[in-house]
Amino acid sequence: MTTPLVGAPVWFVVCERVLTGPARGLHCLCGLTGDTIGPRKPDSAGGKLNLHYGSPQIAIGVTFAALALLLALVFAVIAAQAGSDVGAQRVHDVGYWLRKRWLALLLVIGVLVVGVSLFDLPFANGSDAGRTVVTVTGGQFFWSLSPNRVPAGSHVRFDVTSVDVNHGFGLYDPHGHLIGSVQAMPGYHNRLDLNLTEAGVYRIRCLELCGLNHSTMESTFAVTRH
Amino acid sequence: MESTVTGIGGALHPRAIAFTGTAREIERRLGLLFAGTGIALVAGMGVLGLIMRLTQATVIGLSPAWFYRVLTLHGVGMITGVLLAMMGALWYVLHATVPLSAGRMRVTYALTMIGVFAVLIATLIGGFGAGWAFLPPLPFHPAGQWSVWSESLFFVGNLLVGAGFCVFCIDVLEQTTNTYGGLFRTLGWHYLRGRDAEAPPPQAIAATVVAIDGLISCAVGSTILLGLLGRTYDHAVGIDALVAKNLVYFFGHSIANLTIYLAAAVIYVLVPRYAGRPYETTKVFVAGWTGSLVFIATAYSHHLYMDFVQPTWAAVISEVASYGALIPVAVITIYSMTMLIWGSSFHWTLASTLLYVGFAGWAIGGVGAVIDSIIPINFRLHNTTWVVAHFHTYLILCVVVWAVAFLAHVLERDAGRTSSRALRAWTVGLILVGGYGLTGTWFVEGALGVPRRYAIQPSGTSGYSVVGASFALLLALGFLILFLQFIPLARAAWERRHHVLVDHFDSWTGTHYQARALRADDGPALETAAPSRRGVPLASGAQLGFGLAACIVALASFFPQVIDASEVSNRYHHLDHAGQFFLGAMLGVLLGSLPAVSRRLGDHSSLGLLAVLVAPMLMMVVMVPRIYEPLERDPFEHALYHLAMAGFGLLTGLGATRLGLVTGRIMFALSVGMPLMFAAAMK
Repeated sequence: MTTPLVGAPVWFVVCERVLTGPARGLHCLCGLTGDTIGPRKPDSAGGKLNLHYGSPQIAIGVTFAALALLLALVFAVIAAQAGSDVGAQRVHDVGYWLRKRWLALLLVIGVLVVGVSLFDLPFANGSDAGRTVVTVTGGQFFWSLSPNRVPAGSHVRFDVTSVDVNHGFGLYDPHGHLIGSVQAMPGYHNRLDLNLTEAGVYRIRCLELCGLNHSTMESTFAVTRH
Repeated sequence: MESTVTGIGGALHPRAIAFTGTAREIERRLGLLFAGTGIALVAGMGVLGLIMRLTQATVIGLSPAWFYRVLTLHGVGMITGVLLAMMGALWYVLHATVPLSAGRMRVTYALTMIGVFAVLIATLIGGFGAGWAFLPPLPFHPAGQWSVWSESLFFVGNLLVGAGFCVFCIDVLEQTTNTYGGLFRTLGWHYLRGRDAEAPPPQAIAATVVAIDGLISCAVGSTILLGLLGRTYDHAVGIDALVAKNLVYFFGHSIANLTIYLAAAVIYVLVPRYAGRPYETTKVFVAGWTGSLVFIATAYSHHLYMDFVQPTWAAVISEVASYGALIPVAVITIYSMTMLIWGSSFHWTLASTLLYVGFAGWAIGGVGAVIDSIIPINFRLHNTTWVVAHFHTYLILCVVVWAVAFLAHVLERDAGRTSSRALRAWTVGLILVGGYGLTGTWFVEGALGVPRRYAIQPSGTSGYSVVGASFALLLALGFLILFLQFIPLARAAWERRHHVLVDHFDSWTGTHYQARALRADDGPALETAAPSRRGVPLASGAQLGFGLAACIVALASFFPQVIDASEVSNRYHHLDHAGQFFLGAMLGVLLGSLPAVSRRLGDHSSLGLLAVLVAPMLMMVVMVPRIYEPLERDPFEHALYHLAMAGFGLLTGLGATRLGLVTGRIMFALSVGMPLMFAAAMK
């Protein structure tokens, strides 16, 4: 099953509908062709922008941006107050009172985030039964996949290894979104389970520095419509 | 009338005079040497970073071969630069209360600079381009880009940088624990338990934590680097990629992470000087730094989340530790510093403004890091430019900014003034816009799934590199304006430190006037505190008895049956060597701890340091099958080889006893751990 991201559906609707404007703007501003990474080019058939910011990463990015802006605001307020003259005892009393609550808040967030994330670990487990096992071998500078196509809706287990150095198996869906990664390590087999429901050409990129042609070490994987 | 050289004039908060001591000449000299060199190195590496960004933007056409050379140099050089700067800054603030050794600091400098020079040659001339992480076995698969000598030189360079940091950490740990009465008291644990009202100052506790984690990192790093060095000599040596990756990231992640904790120790001293409020150790502070001691050493494994063969418990511990590391930073360091600043009539100077800016960089970069350390999120962001974004945020916008803030502090303090308000505003404005623009672009790219370390960006994404490079130019301009302000400040500082104004009376005209004259004295005399030793690792009869028992057990590593059985594989054989080394080291500690022997050995702390540093390394250098296998044909030579293993251990053990109870025990434990890790990583 494709690893869902905790809370993604809720964040996602909000982010996609409301908050991805700046990201869209920046993306267009940069004059990107967007043919392989991130949002796609204008749909040639309908002539509409197919800005499918459908990845949880955008929700993560927007959440981070919101937190960063909040922090920037807090630091700006503190800087503005720094010039005033408040008694040290007053700062001490209020500051320590607030600090206990701040600690409690961080602990609660930590327990929730870390705790919930443990129910969503991407590590493959269980037997191969019911899964299509795709053997993936990385080498300087190629990917070898067997088989290299599966029908849509397949429960795929990628069995990933390397013949020489460490590589990173990064799988991008037909929209160009990174949907998961696992390391290809010599002498070891890392197993990645994904549920590939959408037909199309998936792209594989190397996500670990592996030498001279690291940035061009690519391959494709087809998910067919039955 | 004489203008005082140590007067703080308009540089510090008026209330700070009460608790700000005079900076001694040696502190100023070493602080400036380290910070100046470190910042120069960072500036050079920053230019390389800009070149790489412009390459990704296809503005300039650096070939992939050169891109990866530059990338490798940039990574090692940047971390070394900030490490140097922050070691100097910490020495400057810590020397006032802890008698650190200037001689050892110079050794640290020499080792680090030789190491940097070696890495420079290995990358730019030798073509080594396996990245700062040099993930084994990549160095041995050069794809025609580098040769054996350049990879060896790169390992040696890193080893020397690590050795330099190790000398610094040993000195800090030895002197803080001597000064404050053992590890328990230096870390403030006695204060935590409420038995004593006195606690060490914050910077001493922080420095001790950094020193302990730094020594562990250096031991781990030396082990993998020496193993890889052995592999360059003997191609039959196998590498366990998973164990090697653990060791590499433990070393690399921890050292990079420690630069910010070094900086934290410094700001505990500097920020109060602008807030006019002293910063004192509290129980929460002690508890927080105890947490950091653990979290710094256990967080590294988040680099291995996507190695699913890594035990799940290791990933979970790392996730907890990565989040846990946030708590002391957010609740103690950043929060309490903002409390210190709030309503303090804060004295805004160039240095204090940069110090303040650094807090935001740490907080914002830290949030980006914590998000990435959550396993399901890392699954989508691993090795994308998100990683580049978060560590550049807290390195550029916190550690580097604090390094230049330290330099500004020393210059402004000596000059007795700050620079103009308009220039300060331009500096900070450009650094903020350029810095956050640069890292913000990486954050956006990371969210879109753009991989990191690409010489050629995926099609359709080079526009981000253009935007990023433009912001980088603004950032560079900000730093340029900052450095230009240093010139008049340095002149004024030099003037105030070397000249005085003397009152004169002109009898012809009957007027009084002041004239400049050379200062008679050049500040306080140089102080090179002789390291003093406190205690020995085995301090009681029971402990000596335990040491003796351990030696008897370890004798088993010399049993012929054990040696024969260990020939089954390199790993078992190396484990046997580890046992022999342990026997020697334990024996050395036992002998050196005996009162009569200890007295005869004398107080040769620096010799002890040399022994604990060099002997374990030599032991691992000769632990290469190509060296020991020919010796195995002759029983006498074979026996001598194994005795040599114990001999290296003996030297290490004896050396450890010269470093006192705390440092001696820690160095003994780490040196014994090194061959064990070696056996796990090399097969």
